[in-house]
Amino acid sequence: MSRSAWVFLLMSVAWANSAHAQDTTVARLRARADSLARAWREAGALANLVDSLERARAGEGRDTIAVGALRIVTNPSPLPLRQAAARAWPVIDSLYGTAGADLARRPYIVHAVDPDTAAPRASFHVGLEVPWDLDEASVVTLLLTNVPIAPPDLALADWLGASLRPAVRSQYDRATVYVQLVTAPSAAARRCYLGDVGRCADALGFGDPAGALERWYPSSGERRALVIGSFAEYFNRGATATAFRACAGGSDSDCTELLRGLTGNALPKPLGYEARTTLVHLALRLGGRDAYRRLLANPADPLAARLTAAAGMPVDSLISRWRGQVMSSRPRPVPLPVWGFAVALGWTVLFAFCGLRSTRWRVT
Amino acid sequence: MSHAIEISGLKYRAGSFELKDVDLHVPTGSIYGFLGPNGSGKTTTMRLVLGLLRPLGGRISVLGDRMPDDAPRILARVGYVPEQPHLDATLTVRELMTFQAAFYPTWDAACAEDLLKRFELDDHRLFGRLSKGQKAKLMILLALAQRGDLLVLDEPTDGLDPVVRRDILTALLEYVAERKATIFISSHLVHELERFCDWVAVMDDGRVVTEVPMEKLKLGTKRLVVSGAPAAPGATPFVVLSREPANGASERWIVGQWEPAMSSYFAGVGASLVDVIDLDLEDGFVELLRSFRTSRG
Amino acid sequence: MFRVILYGQWKWSRLIVVVGTIAAFALPIISVQGATGGDASPLHAQDLLRAVQSWGTLYPVLAAALGLLVAIATWAADHRGRHVHALTLPVPRWRYVLLRFGAGMTLLAAPILAVLVGALLATASATIPSGLQGYPIALALRFAVAVLVAFAVFFAISAGTARTAGIILGTMAALVLVQVLASLANIPLNLVDVLQLVVLNWPGPLAVFTGRWMLVDV
Repeated sequence: MSRSAWVFLLMSVAWANSAHAQDTTVARLRARADSLARAWREAGALANLVDSLERARAGEGRDTIAVGALRIVTNPSPLPLRQAAARAWPVIDSLYGTAGADLARRPYIVHAVDPDTAAPRASFHVGLEVPWDLDEASVVTLLLTNVPIAPPDLALADWLGASLRPAVRSQYDRATVYVQLVTAPSAAARRCYLGDVGRCADALGFGDPAGALERWYPSSGERRALVIGSFAEYFNRGATATAFRACAGGSDSDCTELLRGLTGNALPKPLGYEARTTLVHLALRLGGRDAYRRLLANPADPLAARLTAAAGMPVDSLISRWRGQVMSSRPRPVPLPVWGFAVALGWTVLFAFCGLRSTRWRVT
Repeated sequence: MSHAIEISGLKYRAGSFELKDVDLHVPTGSIYGFLGPNGSGKTTTMRLVLGLLRPLGGRISVLGDRMPDDAPRILARVGYVPEQPHLDATLTVRELMTFQAAFYPTWDAACAEDLLKRFELDDHRLFGRLSKGQKAKLMILLALAQRGDLLVLDEPTDGLDPVVRRDILTALLEYVAERKATIFISSHLVHELERFCDWVAVMDDGRVVTEVPMEKLKLGTKRLVVSGAPAAPGATPFVVLSREPANGASERWIVGQWEPAMSSYFAGVGASLVDVIDLDLEDGFVELLRSFRTSRG
Repeated sequence: MFRVILYGQWKWSRLIVVVGTIAAFALPIISVQGATGGDASPLHAQDLLRAVQSWGTLYPVLAAALGLLVAIATWAADHRGRHVHALTLPVPRWRYVLLRFGAGMTLLAAPILAVLVGALLATASATIPSGLQGYPIALALRFAVAVLVAFAVFFAISAGTARTAGIILGTMAALVLVQVLASLANIPLNLVDVLQLVVLNWPGPLAVFTGRWMLVDV
């Protein structure tokens, strides 16, 4: 056989071996993955069983407080749960509307515990452990931030970034959004601030996910700022370390490649959680008592359409109103109010007078 | 006779020290010496006169006005030199003169300049860097240039050399002669006040021992050699400060407020006056204090 | 009278006033130094706000320090002479104290003006992204008020007798002691928090010092 033929034969054998080895490896990996997935499902089922047993155990020998559609299962204690529930229910009801009635089947489980950390505590895996010396306002906040509403669908949860809860400090949240509009290192946010409602929709994450990077962070500076500001620890190691350093040094192509390599929804939206929740809260308020149900009715629809359905108005109008609310919630700037100056000057005069009244300076 | 300072029934307490029922009358135009050992209450009394301290009781009148009610009006006419330097150490001599002039409408700039030259003070020197004598001179300068009607001087020459002391006392005497001002000066240096004062008050342990014209204190204190004196002398025209045995049957008497005509007293009680010996003021002062302390037990 | 008192106080506190004035002038300028001569893009907004906020924490510190040091210097000369000179001057005592107070406030005008000038220069020279605004006058006014409050507090303490200072220290010590005893006895008493609430929140005397001091803000 000629030399080339031997080489060809050798290479064929090598390829066949490697192909066979690859097939074996892939099969092995696939089997392994299947086994892991099975274990995962079994673990999940076990966890659910444990939770349900815990709930059953948690409910034994306890009081149930009913206020509106809220149900709170708790042990007897000085915790002002009824009063707090009476304050929390109107807020919860105004957000979820008719969907709030579902909360009657999803009680809070509250374990009121001795605030003395030396006292022994039973271990539970469901419910809220709350020291019973908490004041009413704090309990109200606790109830609002832990509403046991059914989790929304994946698309909405993914877009929001967390569950939809009632606003505890809505004015503060809008002020936060204002600051985000001004300071976010994103042209989309900046354009929204300057009045471009279409870019507001984009900044809120309504656009086509494809091309989001170019729309949200069109300039090289923005991309670089995003990589360094938000992903320094994530990228500056392992396989991406070199690209990170190149990006930090000014290479836009490296920055872009790193950001494109982020999976799923890892690319940060220009505006944060508060922006999206304030928008949804506005939509639900405008849409009436069934707005929340309408929002959840068609999970397959695009989010813009779902918000339109919830609010009862086109999403552009909704966003325009939302922007107007945010702009009017500009945080109070640095200067002291007039009365602040008066108070401070009053203290100045008072202390100066105290200096005069010292016994050293009094004649009689 | 009008009084530049009138104190009646003055009471004050600070810790364990007490002034009790102090009465003083400083005649206008006099040089009034305030004698007493250290810690007798001289400085405290002066501070009360100037309103630096608040009395517990009594009445103080300075230049016709009540202290502390009319303090600013009084202090505008009073020049004060305390025992310890009290001026801002970071200001120069010139700056201190300017400072003082701003507060006293009666400030005499020509007088101040004249005294500056006489006392040979460098007007660019910081007060904190002056010697003890220079500080004393500056404080006197400021008090005199104010052209006040009353000078209150608390041991102004204490610790100073004789040359400085003489300069200061000369300036004071000239001031008094020129202005007919009153000087209220305290010291524990008896011989210094002896040459200088018209009146003297002696203070001890918060109480006034005596308050008399200087001549009377000086000339009126004598050592008598007496023989055959009765054990109880009865009422005497003079003040018996002390008695002690001498040689043989004689006794030595220290008396105050003596006048020559009083020698006839001894004949009346069957004693004889052997000798009359003059005492200097210092001896008289010491005897006075000793007698005062003994009588208080 | 005021002039000579002012001059005397100046001699005691000139170093403090000069250094404080330089610091007061430099602070606003340094706080925006990253924003000078650049583009006003949103990229700079966060950096600028961060820098301004972190440098801004020095304004209340500087105000308190100036108030304290000038108040001490106000009475330094009199304290050394045990107030004898002051108490024997032919002016009503309240007037003398007011003269001292006025002189101190006059000296503090220099660093306050320095903050104003520095802040105006800083905001004029910095490229401020849209959506953000400069507040040079508001900042300078707030600084002025903070300096005056600090000066008044320490002036009152310094003008008092040793007994006054003793009473103040004694009160503070008593509060601490009560707090410690309450903690030992497991009594839920939190005097420090209460005091903080009263003093540091409006309308407390030190409320002007709290909060963010931002030369540039939304």
